[in-house]
Amino acid sequence: MPNAFVLFAHPVPGSLNAAAHQVVVETLTGKGWDVDDCDLYAEGFNPVLSREERESYHDTAVNCTPVQAYVDRLRAADAFILCHPVWNFGYPAILKGFFDRVMLPGVAFDLQDGKISACLNNIRKIAAVTTYGATPLRAFLAGDPPKRLFKRAVWGTIRPEKMRYIAQYDMNNITPDECTAFLSRVRREMEVF
Amino acid sequence: MRALIIYCHPREGSFTAAVRDTVLERLRAAGAEVRVHDLYRDGFQPVLTSAEFMGYLDCPANQAPVADQVRDVTWCDTLIFVYPTWWYGLPALLKGWLDRVLLPDVAFMMPTSEGDNIKPGLQHISRIGVFTTCGASRWLTLFIGAPGKRTLLRGVGLLLAPRAHKVFAAHYLMDSAKEPALQAHLRKVARKTDKLIGAASSAEMAKVASS
Repeated sequence: MPNAFVLFAHPVPGSLNAAAHQVVVETLTGKGWDVDDCDLYAEGFNPVLSREERESYHDTAVNCTPVQAYVDRLRAADAFILCHPVWNFGYPAILKGFFDRVMLPGVAFDLQDGKISACLNNIRKIAAVTTYGATPLRAFLAGDPPKRLFKRAVWGTIRPEKMRYIAQYDMNNITPDECTAFLSRVRREMEVF
Repeated sequence: MRALIIYCHPREGSFTAAVRDTVLERLRAAGAEVRVHDLYRDGFQPVLTSAEFMGYLDCPANQAPVADQVRDVTWCDTLIFVYPTWWYGLPALLKGWLDRVLLPDVAFMMPTSEGDNIKPGLQHISRIGVFTTCGASRWLTLFIGAPGKRTLLRGVGLLLAPRAHKVFAAHYLMDSAKEPALQAHLRKVARKTDKLIGAASSAEMAKVASS
């Protein structure tokens, strides 16, 4: 069975983002995916790159030792799905730390003479399921950093065949109907993923 | 001038530390009051907890876990970030500072009626400086869209005083940087800091002139 690595980063089970995460896991499982559900908060992931990790960052022989289990999970994945809220026009710290500490040289990309090449050739599909407090206009004015990071940096690093960015904006003013519509959209997207 | 420096690098002796010291030296030479938060040294905890999320809108109780940070954000009129760019963005530790400290009623006011937007809460801050280093080239960083720079200059920038004065300096391709280029960059950082200081003095002179 194809393996989907779902990276989830929201602290509260009752949130819309947590509901969307649930829909992702259930829908993919129903469609025959083997889902590796990684809840960063529940797993107590430490997002802070330490001084020692910084010093051995480019040494591909040892740099992944502190996070080997996460590296193995990434390497086993055929699909990589992020499920997270957007806070202050960026990823929650716990998710940003996954990039800092796990998406390392030799794991996510190779660096040779300043040139970057893709490394995670096992991953063929990527998706982000995300919720913004900001309105679409405000996110646009800020340049929508998390969307750029995903659609350009993550896409460029993985070079997947398929990419979906599924976002709900303006969470401060959302109605129950809009919540339901968002969850249906997530379900439809995952059904054909 | 009251400057708050948020500094984030795991290793003392790094080039980022030299950037911080350059900024500090210029500010002190100009007689500014300065406070520094060194997030790694202070062991700042970057993960917004589930209790904090549940109490996010409960002002002012939401400030209690980060009261010392909020005190200095409220105190300053100039906010300066010094950090390395990792994965085109802020280190998780610095991102967590934004998540936990830039709270409702501190950094912004929540909408009061339906369809409303948030309102800026940092209007007492009229100057922002962002000083960073990137492993990637300038070209690649611009292609990705410089998410870290945008998160701070635009995301946080939207919350500051209207037409706040902004300065930015980045050194690219850090892994192959040579000493003369690094020294030139420190001089650039000094000049940019002086611009912030200059903006402060002209604002103060205008205030004196109008009173």
